[in-house]
Amino acid sequence: MTAFDAVGRASLARATARRGLRISLVALLGLAGVYVLALGYTPVELRQGPAQKIFYLHVPAAWSALIAFSLVGITSALYLWLHDPRLDRFAASSAEVGVAFSAVMLTTGPIWAKPIWGTWWTWDARLTLTLFLFFLFIGYLALRASLHDPEERARFSAVVGILGMLLVPFIHLSVYLFRTLHPQPVVLKPSAPSLPPEMLRTLLVSTAMFTLLYVGLVTLRYGLALAEEARDEAADGA
Amino acid sequence: MAPEPPQNVGYLIAAYIVAPVILVGYLATLWARVRRALGG
Repeated sequence: MTAFDAVGRASLARATARRGLRISLVALLGLAGVYVLALGYTPVELRQGPAQKIFYLHVPAAWSALIAFSLVGITSALYLWLHDPRLDRFAASSAEVGVAFSAVMLTTGPIWAKPIWGTWWTWDARLTLTLFLFFLFIGYLALRASLHDPEERARFSAVVGILGMLLVPFIHLSVYLFRTLHPQPVVLKPSAPSLPPEMLRTLLVSTAMFTLLYVGLVTLRYGLALAEEARDEAADGA
Repeated sequence: MAPEPPQNVGYLIAAYIVAPVILVGYLATLWARVRRALGG
């Protein structure tokens, strides 16, 4: 790798990161719009009260986290086949962003559960599996941080990424497979969505904004991976 | 008479603060890491 390559990579990293930052800021602005929609225009659910509106953050955060971890698995499998470092870079980025969305899911969930279930947490199948998936990807990131050879790091973490992805459909179906306190899906199910139109609209807008934020954060994190590679190459060349 | 919904707005406020704190905090951290990696 020449010094010219490192400079080129640094400028690509800067452009990618800036694009990611712009997309993320637009998504956060859209999320502010979701707050207005959820708090100002969407009706209060009669049985659950205002706490039901936590749903408009919790469900899209869960959606983004599960999409993120699914894409880690898919790109990891493709990496093991094609050995393209871009796939590994994407998998690492998606895993880290997925952990951030999981943190939102795992904090807003208990805040909703306390007034509705009367407890912050219960060790049922859906909650336990989701927590396990979160720790699995914390382990994925720790594994990446502990390995210094890029090829070895990519290969080992790809295996963990694929194992993590295998949990995702199981988590989605866990409310059907086990007796659980967690509500059943209201949108992603074989029959039509079982939500009033105002609530469904707010949920879909919020899901679109969270998905856009996922795209922005992954692009920014991908730019960071490029920047770190450029820095390491420049240090090696010096 | 229709029953009144439960009064639990405090939980709603807590969740609506926690979520953006995590997401904006992560975004700010990522941007700071990019700037550090690119040398400011």
